[in-house]
Amino acid sequence: MIEITIDNKTVEANEGETVLQAALRNGIEIPHFCYHPCLSIAGNCRVCLVKVDGRPKLMPACNQTVAPNMVVETEAPEVQSARAAVMQFIMLNHPGDCGICDKAGECRVQEYQFKYGMAEPISIEPKHHKKKFNYLSERIVLDNERCILCSRCVRFTREVSKSAQLGIVERGSHSYVARLDAQPFDDPYSDNVLGICPTGALLSREFMYKSRVWYLEPVRSVCTRCARGCSVNVWRRKKHWYVRSLGEEKNITAYRISPLENPEINGRWICNTGFDLHKFMARPRAMAPMMAGNTVTVDEASAEANRLLAGATNPAIILSAHASNEELQAFKEKLSPRVQVYTREDYCPAEGEVVEDDLLIRADKNPNSYSVHAMFGQKAFSAAAGHDVVIVWGDQVDYTSLGNAKIIHLTSYAPEQETRADVLLPISTTFERSGTFCNFEGKTNRFEQVFDKPKLVQHASDLFGRL
Amino acid sequence: MKKEYWNKPTMGLWERLYIFEVIRGLCITGGVFFGNMWKWITFRKGALTAYYPEEIRSDYSPNNRGRHILTQRPNGEVQCVSCNMCATVCPAYCIEIQSTANFEDPFHPKAPDRFEIDYSRCIFCGFCVEACPEDAIRMSKDVPNLPGFDRTKMWAPQDLLMNWQPQRNPAKVYPSAQTSTQEVHP
Ligand code: SF4
Ligand code: SF4
Ligand code: SF4
Ligand code: SF4
Ligand code: FES
Repeated sequence: MIEITIDNKTVEANEGETVLQAALRNGIEIPHFCYHPCLSIAGNCRVCLVKVDGRPKLMPACNQTVAPNMVVETEAPEVQSARAAVMQFIMLNHPGDCGICDKAGECRVQEYQFKYGMAEPISIEPKHHKKKFNYLSERIVLDNERCILCSRCVRFTREVSKSAQLGIVERGSHSYVARLDAQPFDDPYSDNVLGICPTGALLSREFMYKSRVWYLEPVRSVCTRCARGCSVNVWRRKKHWYVRSLGEEKNITAYRISPLENPEINGRWICNTGFDLHKFMARPRAMAPMMAGNTVTVDEASAEANRLLAGATNPAIILSAHASNEELQAFKEKLSPRVQVYTREDYCPAEGEVVEDDLLIRADKNPNSYSVHAMFGQKAFSAAAGHDVVIVWGDQVDYTSLGNAKIIHLTSYAPEQETRADVLLPISTTFERSGTFCNFEGKTNRFEQVFDKPKLVQHASDLFGRL
Repeated sequence: MKKEYWNKPTMGLWERLYIFEVIRGLCITGGVFFGNMWKWITFRKGALTAYYPEEIRSDYSPNNRGRHILTQRPNGEVQCVSCNMCATVCPAYCIEIQSTANFEDPFHPKAPDRFEIDYSRCIFCGFCVEACPEDAIRMSKDVPNLPGFDRTKMWAPQDLLMNWQPQRNPAKVYPSAQTSTQEVHP
């Protein structure tokens, strides 16, 4: 521990830490573009300049290691004027087209320009124009004009995702970020650069112009696409900003997914599959209970399911690895003594998908296999065991593997095949309930309800009480 | 108990006889009614009543904040860049905009494909006009002629906002030459 003084406040800093890190940890704000806690220090933006006692010049806080009895000033007049000058420089060729920039509202350039910049540009030269919309990949569009060359994205692909696909080419004010060969930017973690880019240079093509960000709010959730179970934010429309004429469905749409920092599980990153979670959740749903292909009421369907179960001599259930811990608990209390329990992997790796790597992605493509196996063991269903009634929980069900048993199917999504289920009961998705999952290491992660469930859809935990 | 009122009725015998005063009242309203009717029969404007919505007053002040106009670029496309400033500032939350992207045109990559104003909610404050950075939305003195019984039918869509009839002032005065210099990277 080293004691240093920042703005007349004595703070404790760790050995080897930089001034910026010590300040941020102690709630003192120093502006920074290029510094990112997970990346190496680049020290190229210079907006973090601070006054260090005894140094003739201002020092970049992000690149200045703490020393005992250091005295730092972050609001001295010369620091303020240096910041304003740095903002002038950064804005020199910046288009400032916030009105049509998707980053507006969560943009660091905007924020610092308001807080620390001068009101008017002092340059009388016309701005340089660069190419505005470059398709880096199917997913990302790059606006070179808005880029401030902080190199965060470049360092991300070199240090975190290790694909080293991005670089900065050319010199001086002609420099721009580009994919280094003519290939698309197909890094499986590529979308993380959208979040770390401090400007609107890197934008999602999918979210492009869908909504202004201040109309949206994040809700904590968990990605269900693999056993890592990364924490994510699901962005839904604020109640305040619900639309009426443009279509009610816009109010119950997840607009985008962003990583939620969780040092225990995923740090600050998620993979591209996680960024597509809202598309995965938006597949056609099972919206109403069905009996032998006909839509029925909830009561009729549960009565029929009850009748089948009561009459069964050897009933079985195949658990879903998408069930939350709370649902599994409800099942254990209410139903499990009466049925034979089997487990199943709802999702297997799709073709072309990254199966497993050493950063985040896991081979098991289900969020809660850990709890299912911990509570009920691991036992695959076999039609030879002679079960006459089978409850199948989850989607992606291959009915042919179930033999001739009567089927009660609990699913959130419309089945891919023509459904052979005798009773089909729609259940809520992870966006429509809250609960917890245990990831492959057994770490518990909580997700909150994002939307209300449709009327005819039930929560699986309530359903078990009725059966 | 009888309720106490702050003013006591001061009526004499004549008023309390009731019938004569009622007849006197009827004579006043009837006189006005028949006078107006006579003017109407003889093709003169009678009462001050306007037959809304068929009749609209012609004497709105030129500063009146009436219906909105979406201005157009010289090629007839909408000037609006769909920045949502107007929708954000609108205190009545009555502007809804859906945007499209056109990256082929780097000067206007973003434009609305639906721009709708709910006239059942608009309070004609003019904040939207004030907030617009593009002079893309203006208010003309005419009132939006949208009376009806169903508030869901009082939405003015983009097409109407761009082409109200009679058309007034729709084209934005545009700088003649492209003032910024375009440097395309080699
Ligand atoms: S990057 Fe930020 S400052 Fe630049 S146009 Fe976009 S929102 Fe505005
Ligand atoms: S694209 Fe964004 S993150 Fe990359 S260098 Fe430019 S401003 Fe920095
Ligand atoms: S005039 Fe006022 S209430 Fe009407 S649309 Fe504009 S901002 Fe909204
Ligand atoms: S403020 Fe102007 S440019 Fe922006 S969305 Fe409204 S009308 Fe269009
Ligand atoms: S944050 Fe220190 S130079 Fe960029």
